[in-house]
Amino acid sequence: MNLFGVMEVSGSALKAERIRAEVVAANMANAETTRTRTPEGGPYRRQHVVFSSSAAEPNSFAGQLISQADPKMGGVEVSAVVKDPAGTLRRFDPAHPDADKDGYVSYPDINPLTEMVDLMGATRAYGLNSSAIQATKGMINSSLDILKS
Amino acid sequence: MQISTPISDALERYLDLSSLELKLTAQNMANIDTPGYRAQGFDFAGEMERSLGELAAGQTKNGAARKPFSPNAARVGLVDGLIERPDGNNVSMDREGLNMAEAQLQFRAGIELLKRESTRVMDAVHVDK
Repeated sequence: MNLFGVMEVSGSALKAERIRAEVVAANMANAETTRTRTPEGGPYRRQHVVFSSSAAEPNSFAGQLISQADPKMGGVEVSAVVKDPAGTLRRFDPAHPDADKDGYVSYPDINPLTEMVDLMGATRAYGLNSSAIQATKGMINSSLDILKS
Repeated sequence: MQISTPISDALERYLDLSSLELKLTAQNMANIDTPGYRAQGFDFAGEMERSLGELAAGQTKNGAARKPFSPNAARVGLVDGLIERPDGNNVSMDREGLNMAEAQLQFRAGIELLKRESTRVMDAVHVDK
């Protein structure tokens, strides 16, 4: 175990929280999207991230070294981005090009309040982990100081 | 010939345990939103005492043949007494923040003591100048 491994763990959390914030941003941006290019078409579906605890990144050199030294080392990763199964909001607007035969348009069921709260959570967790990185940096710096005296 | 002093050996263990503490705190912080994750930790005072005991036993037996301390040997377990959220995660941001500050200060203190110790050894090396 070394201190650089701690940075790897906090770094994985920064990455995961950033993806979460991106997904929230995509949800808010598409709050009124009625057309998507997915095979099933229809309105945009709200998306969620699923976090899972993971081993350190195996494809990086540092990650390899860490998992050799200590297999219990675990960061976090986004294991999936899933679509919300909730239905759509139907609004009466016969003039809309995507209106069905009754004149209703299906809009994504996105609540800006929920999204903002999720975004706030992501920002806070990002800040928390970046302060963990600052702490680690301070410790690495001070251990480099041993040799200077 | 042995250049490390008993104090620097003890400080080595202390720094190892402090960085293990930091590692576990970083791990808990990274998984603050992972459903079902349980906070991990260990008893710092207990582990320090145990490794000092190991150190003392090694020294009385044979000063040269001391085996290096592996932080994996520390008994890491789940932290109990934390409030669990509905998603099964029980990481407390306050506890982790406090632990991180503590680990940082412990590490700094250990480094300062180690620096003092190495200055002492260097003084002995340069005593003829």
